[in-house]
Amino acid sequence: MYAIFKRDFLQYFRSPVGYVAIAIFSFLAGFIFYSQYASGAVSISSEVISLRSFFVIIVPIITMSSFAEDKKRGTEVLYYTTPVDLFSVVAGKFLAALALFAVMFINVFVQMIVTVSNGGKVGYGEWGSVIVFFFMAAMFISVGLLASSLNDNQIISAIVAFVCILLFQLLSTISSYAKSAVNAVVFIITQDVEASAKAGDGIANVINWLDPFARTSDFRTGVFSVSALVFCLSIAVIFLYITYRVLEKKRWSQS
Amino acid sequence: MIEINNLVKQYGDKRALKGISFTVNDDEVLGFLGPNGAGKTTTMNIITGFLSSTSGSVKVNGHDILEEPELAKKDIGYLPEQPPLYFDMTVKEYLDFICDLKKVSKENRKKQLDSIYSMVKIADVKDRLIGNLSKGYKQRVGIAQALVGNPSILILDEPTVGLDPNQVLEMRKLVKTLSKTHSVIISSHILSEIQAIADRVVIINNGKIAAIDTITDLSRRLSGSSKLLLSFQGPLKDVSSNIRAIPGVANVATRNSNDRLHEIEITISNTSPDIRASIFFVMSKGGWPIFEFRSLDPSLEEVFLNITAGK
Repeated sequence: MYAIFKRDFLQYFRSPVGYVAIAIFSFLAGFIFYSQYASGAVSISSEVISLRSFFVIIVPIITMSSFAEDKKRGTEVLYYTTPVDLFSVVAGKFLAALALFAVMFINVFVQMIVTVSNGGKVGYGEWGSVIVFFFMAAMFISVGLLASSLNDNQIISAIVAFVCILLFQLLSTISSYAKSAVNAVVFIITQDVEASAKAGDGIANVINWLDPFARTSDFRTGVFSVSALVFCLSIAVIFLYITYRVLEKKRWSQS
Repeated sequence: MIEINNLVKQYGDKRALKGISFTVNDDEVLGFLGPNGAGKTTTMNIITGFLSSTSGSVKVNGHDILEEPELAKKDIGYLPEQPPLYFDMTVKEYLDFICDLKKVSKENRKKQLDSIYSMVKIADVKDRLIGNLSKGYKQRVGIAQALVGNPSILILDEPTVGLDPNQVLEMRKLVKTLSKTHSVIISSHILSEIQAIADRVVIINNGKIAAIDTITDLSRRLSGSSKLLLSFQGPLKDVSSNIRAIPGVANVATRNSNDRLHEIEITISNTSPDIRASIFFVMSKGGWPIFEFRSLDPSLEEVFLNITAGK
């Protein structure tokens, strides 16, 4: 696993990918921090929360080449014909992408130091939002890795990852649409206001249950919930496992 | 040693391998021949664990590739048709990565890499990016990659494809050198290459084994009896009758004849000993100068064409 981790992590800096991702993140983090600083009300936690909306851009950039490039170049042979097991390949690539996030996050740590040295406060809310950020990064990276393992075209991989992450981000919007749609349909059928409201709430609850953003919104106030972290971690493990199965399956189906 | 037993590979409706069995002995070069699409690469991919077979087994030094993959893969170095190279790494970085993958210990690493550098002659490019190397060098780095971890078996899938004639010769020389210490399976559709390197040949066609034999036996088996070609100056009739009189000669046929030079084909019956000396003395006694005298055993090309045409 360490071999794959090392190669993939360094690979980000052999190609422009790592630099581009770091540049985008630094710009966004710097921009948000600067505007807060200028207005005189710095809140690292709300900055980190805002940065979560950019997973949709940064994660596909990072993960698009992970497996697609190997497949295209024929280097995936190495994973199958050397004595490494495929799960450690997946895990190594996953950790490499997560480590790149850690490198990007140096920005935020520097901002924390600046905040504290200027008399600002970095408390539980800030650390909570940082922790959530990494758990969600882990979750979306695993989505991106799966997208990358499904084909040998980086662009397609990036688009698939983009769409999937976008869907996660839009879950709250989707749930409110679904709520009113179900509400209306049930009302037309039953003519019962209470039942239709109940049905609408039900569907909204189901969709909201899947929404990692809603689940973790309390962290910024310093309220930690283990279940939200377990949720992100479970999704990550499920996607990594599916990625592993996809790789394993290639051995049986490819020509 | 590799034992391959009744391999079958099914892709959807297509049966790519229809029961392939053969054995590769220690320190032997086995040529693997077949037209494109015959199943060479599929077989090699299954032996190396890249693909799984639908049924059948592969045992590498006694370890089944599916049941004990780590032990089996440790003994195999594989160079696929498209070498698995990362173009944005230097040769040294890349081979270090391969060492990590193949779990070569830190103490052995330097020694092993140094010997590989000198064996495949890439020491002078080890700090260059692989993407900037010539095709020949890339292929050598590919072989270097296969050699990492000291496997006892090397599997090379068309290692000379796309190389210029000089590089082809060097590659052949390299494979010859490697064959002293490794078992080698080498596939190719360039027959002269197999003829130059291999001890034994497996010819595969349409997913089935068409022939397994040493190259000389294969030629002899197919031709039935051996033939000699003789071109000379002198009276055609006298020479023919004189040669026909030598015991062991089954037939003499004229192949080409003009007033300056005659060419005849001498068929020797299967059982007879070497009669080339007798032919020479007949010619020298008659004072008929020989311009060319050679064996007409079918080349691997002819053997190959015969077999794959369904003979």
